[in-house]
Amino acid sequence: MSRVRSWMRHDSMSVVFAILAMLLLVFILAPVVKTVFSSSPGTLWDTLRDESVYSSVLLTVLAGLLATLIGIVVGVPLAYLLARRQFRGKRFLEALIDVPIVIPHSAAGIALLFVFGRQFLLGKLFGHVGITFVDTLAGVVIAMMFVSVPFLIDSSKDAFKAVDVRMEKVARTLGASPWQTFFRVSLPLAWRGIFSGSVMMWARAMSEFGAVLILAYYVPFLGDRATVAPILVADRFTAFGLDAALPVASLVILISLVIFVALRYIALRGDKQ
Amino acid sequence: MVVADQSLLPMLMYGNKVPDSTDEYANWYIRFATNRLGLAYTSQSKYAAEIGSANWYEVLSRPDVKVGISDPRIDSCGYRAFMACQLAEDYYSDNTILERVMGDFSPPITVSDNLGSHVIAVPETVKPKKVIMRGYSVQLLGLLESGDLDYSFEYESVAKQHGLGFVELPAEIDLSSRDFADRYGQVTVKMDFQRFASIDPEFRGEPIQYALTIPTNAPHTNAALQFVEFLLGADGQRVFLESYQPTLDLPEADNPANMPARLQSLLEQ
Repeated sequence: MSRVRSWMRHDSMSVVFAILAMLLLVFILAPVVKTVFSSSPGTLWDTLRDESVYSSVLLTVLAGLLATLIGIVVGVPLAYLLARRQFRGKRFLEALIDVPIVIPHSAAGIALLFVFGRQFLLGKLFGHVGITFVDTLAGVVIAMMFVSVPFLIDSSKDAFKAVDVRMEKVARTLGASPWQTFFRVSLPLAWRGIFSGSVMMWARAMSEFGAVLILAYYVPFLGDRATVAPILVADRFTAFGLDAALPVASLVILISLVIFVALRYIALRGDKQ
Repeated sequence: MVVADQSLLPMLMYGNKVPDSTDEYANWYIRFATNRLGLAYTSQSKYAAEIGSANWYEVLSRPDVKVGISDPRIDSCGYRAFMACQLAEDYYSDNTILERVMGDFSPPITVSDNLGSHVIAVPETVKPKKVIMRGYSVQLLGLLESGDLDYSFEYESVAKQHGLGFVELPAEIDLSSRDFADRYGQVTVKMDFQRFASIDPEFRGEPIQYALTIPTNAPHTNAALQFVEFLLGADGQRVFLESYQPTLDLPEADNPANMPARLQSLLEQ
């Protein structure tokens, strides 16, 4: 008797939860699906062959990848330190790392300009080696990196934490150096978390609008000028309206979907092993 | 609806019907203020000490000077910057100024000359190779302040409101004076949109005149009327002058007969 009642309670909860979940799914899927299918395959193909569109898509993908690679080089060591070492101010540092996620991204762009602008500290420093950040690829990359690197750090940190610290200690007692232990024990065991963090970072980087807009509009790219896809979509919408922006929006959503479904598949396949 | 270029209202609102109605979006407007186009700069701008209304285009042509413009497709300050450079060519008898100041664009922005008048054709994408562009001119101010821009084409009121330096251009160029209306009219900026827009807007050079109207489908017409009365009245005019925005001595109406009666009596005073 009591078993049945508890099962029924559980069931009514399932029903309510399922309804709520369905509402959310419709909310997420309806705009995406409608946008993707609003343009015929022919229109999408023509859109992709539009020179400003494909150079924009290419710029977005490459700049996002570059930001992610730099993020891996500097972010994974930080994540390892956060996962393994105890030090004063660690909690504060962890909160600080997530700041780029919570601040408005136009504010992030302004903050970056305030440091990487031609008259400011880092801007002057990089200026000496000929790197400037306004309307350049470097500007796109730092804007993307700033807003997306927390995803990589957080995910990598969790991945390192999940690695049994005794494995590392065993490696050390067997004579492995700290470097060997990191590269041959910790990193291989944590790679999946780092990989999915990288995918998240790349995705977030490619979708960045506000911070990029402030630093870099049209940048030199492949002998011409290009802007990132989110800005191109907004630009078409502002200058020409919904009909002109829609095919570009559909294409960008479609490309993002294909890339990230493929990458998640790789990460999940690793999961089963 | 308040715009920085009076020609926009008849172009986009007259004759265009509100959906499911026989009304046009507007059938009258009032010109009420003007402005002056020039260059905003800061004390850190390169050659700030030597730039003036006689050598500005020389300074802007230097390779180490970063010049900002706003998008000529969507911002009046943007297409007016092109007008000013073209007018400068006539004024200084130097037909390289536009190209030297603005540099190349991809695809190119072309100028065709016909019996002393000039038509500047802006394609549907504007990708500058020399100048730094943002959608609207006010978006360039931050870059000026961060030192990443040396000069940007800007209205006098905006530059002064932000405490920036302002290089005045000769009145023959700066689109401020009715005395030079004929001269300004020699230059037209034409939007050459191949694919997207049903109309290709065309802007003929003329003295800058800000204009306002109340759309026929405005949800709060009475509040709008009150606002217009305030704006054209003594208090509103004082706000404009305190903000460095020159007003017209006498606001003028286009199609005054279509205006609400309250505004007709206001303009007659």
